[in-house]
Amino acid sequence: MKISGFILVIDSYLLRKGVVALLNRIQGVRVLKEYGAEDSFINYLDKHSVDFIIIGQYEFQRSINLFVSKPELLEKTILVEGAYRDGHMQDVSEFDLKTSISLMEDRDVLMDKIHKLLKGKDDHMDTHSMGLSPRETTIVRLVSMGYTNREIAEKLFLSTHTVMTHRKNINNKLGIKSVSGLTIYAIVNNIITIEEHGSLPSK
Amino acid sequence: MITREWPMYRVVLENLQLLPLLPRFNLKPGFGELSVEEVCRAHGVNTDFFLEIANAYLDELYVPGEGLSLFSLGTVVNYISATHSYYKDIALPTVELKLHRLMEHSKLSEKEIRLLTTFFNDYKKDFMIHLSQEEEHILPYILELERQASLVKPDPEFVQKLQTYSIREFEQEHDRLETSLKHLSELIIKYLPPFDDLQLCHQVLNDLSVLMKDLVDHADMEDKVLIPRVAELERSLINAVSSG
Repeated sequence: MKISGFILVIDSYLLRKGVVALLNRIQGVRVLKEYGAEDSFINYLDKHSVDFIIIGQYEFQRSINLFVSKPELLEKTILVEGAYRDGHMQDVSEFDLKTSISLMEDRDVLMDKIHKLLKGKDDHMDTHSMGLSPRETTIVRLVSMGYTNREIAEKLFLSTHTVMTHRKNINNKLGIKSVSGLTIYAIVNNIITIEEHGSLPSK
Repeated sequence: MITREWPMYRVVLENLQLLPLLPRFNLKPGFGELSVEEVCRAHGVNTDFFLEIANAYLDELYVPGEGLSLFSLGTVVNYISATHSYYKDIALPTVELKLHRLMEHSKLSEKEIRLLTTFFNDYKKDFMIHLSQEEEHILPYILELERQASLVKPDPEFVQKLQTYSIREFEQEHDRLETSLKHLSELIIKYLPPFDDLQLCHQVLNDLSVLMKDLVDHADMEDKVLIPRVAELERSLINAVSSG
């Protein structure tokens, strides 16, 4: 699992440390930075890649201009509800926030919410960088068994050129260039068994 | 968190995982009572930079970023080169040697041995290509950028090139080198038959895990500290020239 980076914007020391303690129990989470009263987290966002922002309701309202001018941040924002301060609380339901957590929620419910967020992000990554199409999986399988591009083309009734295009796309998706790298990838992803690899007699 | 007043021997004694960092700063155990600052000064190492790197290495939650931006890019580039040497001359050869010894005294089939050997050789080749691309193109470019930015009149041709090239391109093609090592560990732990030499097997897995963590930290440092700073410098150079 890839590590997801969180920043926290919560004035209350106890609340903030509570959220940190919760996050630290979850695998694949890194708390990049904590912000308390009157700190500006905008500069940090400019320079670092942050996956999620956990922000209190009051702090969210204080930074509302930022979120209006950068609506893409809402996609990453998790609101902590229930920590009221004096004064009128605006309704924030018009904002399309990622999700919210509440002070009154159970540990398990909270953990579950964070897990879902992380999983959503991983799935998203899969479709972009990892997920091979069925055709590509077949090609990885044949390459790992030791077939050449020409032999694969014949077997699948494709042109060699098409096979090479598939190979290039596979390399880009997986970031693995060598046949041996693809073979190990295929074994640990159960595309072939360890007995099947390089099973051609000529190899 | 480590600070400059700590005796260096205590820093290392209590955090042995820092050992791989020492040669990158030309430091060797045998520190006596000297503090971190005194050791660094004696070896011409920027103390703040050492502290940032060491703390970031020890603590996953430690965010380098702000502290690191206090140093010249030249210092960062030197550290990256030294880290590359550590990978090339120490880390990779050590794992390779142990892996070969492990295979020699194993019940692996010839085919499995061939797969592991080819895999490691190919991985090493890709690794070296990756490092040499950085060393031949990226690092000299960064040093030149910093030099140009310090000039009163930067070379117009260099600035012109910045309109079409940015370090961000490098970021996009910045392969992650740790993935294949993870595959290799998984192969050993899950798919290959058990090895008789348990000690050696554990050492190999341990070395792979240390190297993986090192590569992740290193790539994080490049992606989160070096590249944003270089991109900032590129922007300010373009702006300075177009407004001046």
